[in-house]
Amino acid sequence: MEGNLAEELYSESLKLSKTNLVSSSTSVSKESDLHDCLGDDSQDGDGPIWDSSGDELNDSSELDREWQRRRDQHHTHGYREGITAGKEASAQEGFNIGFKQSVLVGYNWGVVRGVTSALSFLPDELKERLIGTQEKRNEFRDLYESVHSLSTADALRLFNDNLMAKKALEQRENAEVSSHLAGPQEQSLGSGRLDNYMGELQLLLPDSPDLRVHFRRDE
Amino acid sequence: MEDIFESSLHLEETHFEEGYSDGYKHGLVIGKEEAQQVGLRVGFEAGEELGFYRGCIEVWNFAIRVDQTRFSDRIQKMIKQMEELVEKYPVFDPESESVQELMEALRLKFRAISATLGMKLEYNGYPKMGQDPKEMGF
Repeated sequence: MEGNLAEELYSESLKLSKTNLVSSSTSVSKESDLHDCLGDDSQDGDGPIWDSSGDELNDSSELDREWQRRRDQHHTHGYREGITAGKEASAQEGFNIGFKQSVLVGYNWGVVRGVTSALSFLPDELKERLIGTQEKRNEFRDLYESVHSLSTADALRLFNDNLMAKKALEQRENAEVSSHLAGPQEQSLGSGRLDNYMGELQLLLPDSPDLRVHFRRDE
Repeated sequence: MEDIFESSLHLEETHFEEGYSDGYKHGLVIGKEEAQQVGLRVGFEAGEELGFYRGCIEVWNFAIRVDQTRFSDRIQKMIKQMEELVEKYPVFDPESESVQELMEALRLKFRAISATLGMKLEYNGYPKMGQDPKEMGF
């Protein structure tokens, strides 16, 4: 019996606290609830342990509380160390996933920024030789101005919004598929504003066959 | 009483390990999510800056083809070198050790070229030109 005594004493509490811990990251906050449950359990169950002088109910529930307090203490301590180690272990993987998700979108957007900026800074007479008509030059200038007015942070926000919208759309589609209600509402969110700028530049380019702009797609 | 406290020593370890394991599992999930957000930002920023240089290079090359006389051999060589740096940049390998070095070389080349061309062209994204303390001396 010896080794099992303690475990028996609060095997119930172990199960209880496990379920509690799954739903909350702070095990300490559940302590008081657990104690209430424990008190009842041990009084019904294991009964007297070391003597039967009549005081054993109080003693055993006090001991229970002590066990529980120490159990929580060590569990929490372990939890804290575990969470730090777990975060460290998965950080690089998460970083790489995010990086690969965004690097091409950023790159293509940057190409739009670079082409329109570099063009707008060329001397006028050279610009005229590069871009045939005044109309086109104006269009390039307009595109430059709207692109230039967006900071990297603005662009990143647009990208994030687009990402969230896509995620929401996917979730909705999944829900629709599972309930056999697939509706005709795709597309609208498919291309974000950043893609639109890319599209605008691409529309301006065909008249300048010597300007080779390479957008990048997934490898 | 002794038996109880003896087993308590063993239990302390068990409880610590249980907590550790719960925490570790939780940490894996949040750590990945948090780092993914960082990766999204850093990837976008690196991509934008690299794409910006690529876009400039393409316009300059276009201009050179149209009117070579406007660009000295030296400038043309610098643009070529910058192009090589962009191509060397490992876009899909953020862990590569060469990333930082390549980006810094690109920044220097870009500034040298736009200064030589007499342009006030700047990369206004992140990090902003001139804000990098290492480049303050220029």
